[in-house]
This record gives sequence, structure tokens and C-alpha cells, in this order.
Amino acid sequence: MESAVRAARTEEAASSLTSAIDIGFLDLRNAEFYVTAGGFTGLRYAGKDYSRITLRRALPIGNPMEYISVADKDSKEIGMIRSLSDLSEKQYDIVAAELDNRYYCPTVYEIKSVKDKLGYVYLELVIGRNGNKYRKTCAVKDVNRNIRMLDDERLAIFDVDGNRYIVQSLYELDKKSMKRLEPYLF
Amino acid sequence: MNAHIPEYMLSAFAAQGVDTTKLVYAVHADSADRAGNTDVYMAVSDESMYILYGEEKVVKTAGARRIVALYEAKGFDVHPLCDLGELTCDCLLSTARLCSEKDGSTRILLVYSIGFLSEIERLIKVIKNIREGASPLNDVHIDDELFCPKCGTRYPEPERRLCPKCMDKVSIFRRLLGFFGHYRSKVAAVFLTMLAGSVFSMISPLAGTKFFFDEVLTEGGSRYGAILSAVLLIFIVRVISVGLNTLYSFVLAKTIPWIVQDLKLKIFEAMQRLSVGFYTSKRTGSLMNRINQDANNIYWFFVDGLPFVVVNTFTFIGVIILMCILNFKLAIICAAVLPIAVFMFKVLWGVFRRFHHKNWVYNSQLNSMVSDSVNGQRVIKAFAREYAEAMRFADIGAKQSAVDIGSINTGYTAFPLIYLFMFSGQVVVTAIGGSMVLRGEISLGTLLTFIAYLSMLYGPLEFMSWVSNWWARCVDSAQRVFEIIDARPDISDPEEPVILEHIRGDIELKGVKFEYDPATPVLKGLDLSVKAGKMLGIVGKTGAGKSTIANLIARLYDVNEGSISIDGVNVKQLSLAQLRKSIGIVSQDIYLFMGTIADNIRYARPEASMEDVIRAAKAASAHEFIMMLPDAYETRVGAGGQDLSGGEKQRLSIARTILQDPDILILDEATAAMDTETEASIQKALSELQKGRTTIAIAHRLSTLRDADSLAVISGGRVVEYGTHRELMQKKGEYHKLYTIQLEGLKIINMEA
Repeated sequence: MESAVRAARTEEAASSLTSAIDIGFLDLRNAEFYVTAGGFTGLRYAGKDYSRITLRRALPIGNPMEYISVADKDSKEIGMIRSLSDLSEKQYDIVAAELDNRYYCPTVYEIKSVKDKLGYVYLELVIGRNGNKYRKTCAVKDVNRNIRMLDDERLAIFDVDGNRYIVQSLYELDKKSMKRLEPYLF
Repeated sequence: MNAHIPEYMLSAFAAQGVDTTKLVYAVHADSADRAGNTDVYMAVSDESMYILYGEEKVVKTAGARRIVALYEAKGFDVHPLCDLGELTCDCLLSTARLCSEKDGSTRILLVYSIGFLSEIERLIKVIKNIREGASPLNDVHIDDELFCPKCGTRYPEPERRLCPKCMDKVSIFRRLLGFFGHYRSKVAAVFLTMLAGSVFSMISPLAGTKFFFDEVLTEGGSRYGAILSAVLLIFIVRVISVGLNTLYSFVLAKTIPWIVQDLKLKIFEAMQRLSVGFYTSKRTGSLMNRINQDANNIYWFFVDGLPFVVVNTFTFIGVIILMCILNFKLAIICAAVLPIAVFMFKVLWGVFRRFHHKNWVYNSQLNSMVSDSVNGQRVIKAFAREYAEAMRFADIGAKQSAVDIGSINTGYTAFPLIYLFMFSGQVVVTAIGGSMVLRGEISLGTLLTFIAYLSMLYGPLEFMSWVSNWWARCVDSAQRVFEIIDARPDISDPEEPVILEHIRGDIELKGVKFEYDPATPVLKGLDLSVKAGKMLGIVGKTGAGKSTIANLIARLYDVNEGSISIDGVNVKQLSLAQLRKSIGIVSQDIYLFMGTIADNIRYARPEASMEDVIRAAKAASAHEFIMMLPDAYETRVGAGGQDLSGGEKQRLSIARTILQDPDILILDEATAAMDTETEASIQKALSELQKGRTTIAIAHRLSTLRDADSLAVISGGRVVEYGTHRELMQKKGEYHKLYTIQLEGLKIINMEA
């Protein structure tokens, strides 16, 4: 009973403490995202014109379309967007395209071969974007760290050059690819 | 001029009308925009940068790096260098953008996979060299260095220059055998006794079965009825066999540990030569654990693996020959069973490998969790998370148990099945052999000997089916070990180092640029100087690059661009030993080695007398607390030794530097973690140390820099303000802002007190 009361008190205190802090959500009615002539995304907000902004996801794996941080070119946060669905269609397209560019990783469609050689695992992959597929051979070192599950379904592969490839759904991989990959999954 | 640009690239640019004789550098990248992958060739001449988009068809041939059969161009851009502004790389998650910034506006020239970052950075460097009038390829790696000269394969990690194709297992093994050189006689003894033991093992069935049944128990045999002498012979053969096995194990146990010790010593010596950068790079996160694990893998392979490979191979071949001699027809029947058994073992070990891998992963997760829990007990308890932590542990534990169950079940079902299969082979041999005995084609002794030999084959077969995995693991470990032994230190002495008679302590940094990781510059053209005997204070926000300056002056790292000179000589030209001995660093990270307090103080000068040690301790205000300890200067510190407070450790570190008596002193946040009282006491010691020496003091807390002759404020990798305290306060800039904020903070603390 006492612990329940204490827990309730703690929760109440925490709630009041966090609610006192302003996240700084952007007032989207006064925000205008645009694409610059140089190909960057800019923002006009609160009387200021930010010609180059950076958009970062707070939850890039679990909830990529919510809690988006908007920062200026010196990485100082201007504010946050609670959800992309709060934006108008045109604004949504600009922001989503910028996020898509920032977080783009080639999708792995197929695994053609896996060879283990002296501490490196060489993977011959069929990767691509929007259905445009091509082959790529990459070397992965320290497989326990560099071939890892992002969630229950998605798998990330990091090669020695710093590239990152994503298997969007392990369940949708063909049997042969899955069999080749299986020894490196856990 | 363009000799290192591959022919296929030159042809592709020539097809676009480019005068390829003017090209100085070219790289292969890709275009990772929305359209998907495109092979991009980029080239630079004195006047322009060319970007060619297209699709490359590659045909690999043995011995050649790659031959491009066809390049289908889809787009071509020419950027005159005069139209391009400052070129930078903007890194995203898996891609990067080549940007050009001119007249306040930035445009994107190319979006490419992040794996090509270093290639593009080299291209930018070439353009920079051209613009500055330097040789275009000055300080630029050319493509040839990225590929194995022997087979043309691209190095997985260019800085390691290790080709997995050419670094074959046999040559690694041969190199490992090199460690046996000193122990030739013992190794020879091991192998001779092992082989002799195998011979006697193979003779056993002949003596114990064939001879006994056919010559002693059969009427008309050459030794018919001589049971006692036959049994004695069997016993003697067995005793000799066991004796030889014992002897070889004994010699082996006395040899292998020394070889592994040699190996560990070589690794340790190599580690001392390597630069700091090697240890801070990501791939050496758990260096020590890995070295121990790798050395153990090698150890066990040589103790448990290799000898049995020799014995089993010898036994296998010997038994097959003996079987063929005894009866060729039966030997052929046996040979038919063997490949199936080998296949079954191979499959089974493949399954086990997966189980072991999963088990290993879960086990390391559990170990990390235990380590987290032990180190984070205060936090766990403070947030009342004991139950949640136990649940996390249970969750992983349950997964590991499931893997264990699978592994054990597979073992318990599969192995009996394989043995049953092998037994069925034995049954077939017994049936055919039995009928041959009845027909009088072979004797009973021959059949029984045959069956005995057949069972002797299964052991080597089983061993050979999994020893290859073991062998692969050993070679893998050996490769990592040799990687450390062979690693070339980034920082080394010049061929003809300059040795100064006396270091005065004039320090000058000119246009210093430095980055720990590609595309994340820490210093962006920093200029700074300090006169001999003067004190320079460096201030700036966290992450501004203050400690990097200390690291660069002491040449723990080398600058990417610009220069650092001491008394007018570039530090890269100075003798490394003299440089390091002349610079004393007192930093926030204090490390005490295992040993006594006196040992730690005299670390820089082991020959220092005890009186010098006490003098240094007194000057560092350490003597008093040392004398309060029961074992005083003989108190053991470091891992497993006496616990000392941060202030006490720092005073020992200062005493160590006082004894070193350096010409240049660098104080890198030396008192940042101290309370005000301790700081005051340490400041007194530091003031003693600074007398007459060039001092660079890096501090976040400005109060510690009150004695500085001049101050430099670092921001964004550059010096943004420079002058005396008074000048900077009058300027009302960055320093004034920092000083005012800290002063306000102190006022609030005083009010609360």
C-alpha cells in the first residue's frame, strides 16, 4: 500500500516536472518548408528564413514519422514536429523527401552468396531502391555487431566501408537467401 | 601525369570529348539519389571537374584488378573549378552529398553512397592542391594503394592492407610454425613419439587379434598353444603404445605454453610500438580480450588439434593400407561406407556451428548484462529497477536455454543415428566377411582384425570432419594476431631525426587541421603560438578541440594539414623520444600503474633516488597524505591496490611530472574534477611546476588560468580570440561571455552557502 502511494506520488511529481519543460513543437501554421535552388530544404519560421535545415528523427526505427527535430545548419534545434500528419500535403512531401534522403539505406532483396574468409564475411547482395535492383559485394567484419536486427522483422548490415543495407522483412526473403543468412542471425 | 588513372576511365572520358592528357586524378563512385545506383566516374584537370554518370559492366579475370568491358554513359557534367566554391561532404545516414558553397549559397553536386566518402575526400584534396598551386597529388593516396598488388582484390579495409585472398591459410600456418623454431628438438621429439605411438596402435590388432587367433589358437599355427607368450606380446605392445602417448603429452605440455608465451610477448611488444590512434579506433574496442582469446585459440589448436591431425591422418592412411593388404575386396566395401559417414558428420557439425554461434552471442549478452548490473548497481537501486533487470536477464537466459535444448537434442538424436549407420556398415562387413570365412577365403583372425581396423577408422573420420572448423578458427585468430604484430605505427621517428641540444620551449601551430574521423574536422586551420617560458591558457566549450591541441603537440597524433613546431623545428622532424621526454602532460585522466607509490612517481625516471621521489611528492603536496598511509611510499596502488581519491591520484601524477622535469608542460583540465579546496592545494603544486617552463594550460574553469600570460579562446576548431585576460575582458567577446557566466555561477553558489 505504502509503495503504491509512493509510486503514485513519484509519477505525479515526474508528470509535473516533465510537463513544465517545453519540447518546443513548431507552430506549423507559421512554418513554411521549401526546397532551395541548390537542392537543400529550407524553412521560413517566426520571421526568420533558414536556408538550410537538418531534419532528424527521434525514433528512426520504431516511429519514423513522428517527433522530428528541425535544426539549423549549425545543428541548433529550431523546434520539433510532433507528427508529419500535422503538415499540409505539399509541406508533407517536402519534409518526407528530405527525411527519405537523410535516412535512405539500400534495401536488400536477395543474398546471392555468403563467404567467410579470415574474419571477414563477404556478401553478394541484390540491393536497390524503388524496385531498381543491382548487385553489390560487400565485406563485413565483426558480424555479431555489424549484422543485427533492428526490430523483430528488419535486419541491418553494416559493411567495412561504412555502408548500411536493410533487409526490410526477414519473413519476405526467399528461402535460399534466408538459409545463407541464418548462421549470422540471432 | 595520369599514369595511375585506369585505362577504362580514360576511355570513358575521352568518349565525352575530354582531353584525357590533362586529367590528373580520377575516382570511381556512385550516384545514390532517387533514381538508384549509377556508376559514376569523377575526374579532375587543372581547369575542371568532370562527373560522368553511367553503367559499368565488369568482367573479372584472374590476375587483373578488373576489366571494364562496357561503360554506357547516361549523363555528363562539367564543372569549371572557377565556378565551384568550397567543396564539402555532407554525411547523411548511408549516403553523403558533395556540396559546393560559393557566395553564401550551397548546391548539391552529387549524392553518393557513404562508402565512397574517402574517395570523394581525396578528390576534394586534389582540387584544393590545384587551387593552392601545390602538386595535385600532394598527400593524396592513389588508387593503386587500395588494391592488393598480387591479385588485384580491393582491400576490405585499405589502412590494413590485408588481402583475404592472398593471405592464404598455408602461409599463415607456416608463419605460426616459425614460432616453433627455438623448440625444434622438442617438437621433433613430440612428432616422433606421436608417430611411433600410432604405429604401435596399428600393430595392436595384428598382434592382439590376427596373430592370436590365426597363429596361437588355430591348429597348425606357427605359435600354436603359446598363449602366455602371446598375451605377453599383446601386453608389451600396449605398454609401449601407452608409454609413447604419455611421453609425447609430457613433452608437448612442456613446449606449447612457451610458444604461446612467445606469441603473447610479441603481441605485447608490438602494442607498445603502436600509436594512440590504433587504440582509439573502433575495431580495437576489446583489444585485450581479443588477444587473450586469440592466443588461447592458437594454443588449443596446437595442443589439442594439430597433434591429433597428424596422428589421425597417419592412422587413417596406415589402417587403409593394412586393410588393403589383409583383404582388398573387404577394404573396398569399407571404403564405400566412409564417404557417407564423412558427409553425415560434416552436415551435423554445420548444424552445431550454428547452435554454438547463437549460444556464444547469447552468452556474451548475458556477460555484458552481468557486467552492467555490477557496475550500475547504484543506478539500478536508485531507480528501483531490480526486478526489471532480473526480467531482462531471464529473457536472454530463456533464449539461450532454448538454443541449448536444441543443441543437446540434436546431439542426442543425431550422433546415435550416425553411429548406428556406421554400425550397419560394420554389420555388412561382418556378414560378407563371415561368409568369406566359411568359404575359407579368409581366416577368422583376419575378419576380426578387419572389424577392429574398421572401428579404428571412425575416430579419425569424426575428428577430420570438425577439425577444419577448428583450423579455420585458429587461422582467423592467427591473422588477427599478425595484424597487430605487423601493424605499422602511424607515428614514427623520421629517418634522420633532429636532436636539439636544449629545448627552449617556443611552440608554434600554423594552419593546423585535424580530424579523428573522416568528414568530422575538429581543428579547422588553427594558428597559435607561445614563447619559451610563458604560459598560454586555452579556453573553449566542451568538444571545441582543446585536448586535441595537447595530443598534437605531444605527437600522439599527426596533424592532417598545417604544422606544429618547437623551437622552429617541425615536430615531425624531431626525435620522438626527445619530444616525449621534453613534454610533461598532467591531464584529467590519471592512470596509476600496478606497483608502489614510489614506483609510480619515478615512472618517467626509474633511476631517480628515493630522496628525489620525496622531494617531488613534497612539491606536489602529496607527501602528507602518502605518509598517512600505513605503507607510505610502499603502498601498492593501481588495479587491486589501495584506493586513492581523485585529488590524491592527481597529486601523484603531478609529482611524476615534476620528477620528469619536462621543458614544456601541458595541463589538460588537470583540476577539472576536483573540489575547490583540493583544487586550491593542487594549484599551488602546479604553480611550482610551471616556474620557468613553457606551459599550455587547458581549462574549462577560467579561475585556473589567472596566471596565464596570454589566453586563446577556441571555437569551431579555430582561435576566435587571443590576448591577455584584461584585453579579452575589454573586447567583450566570447571570453567575456564565458567569464561572466562562470562568475554569475560562483555568486549563486556563494549566496546559497
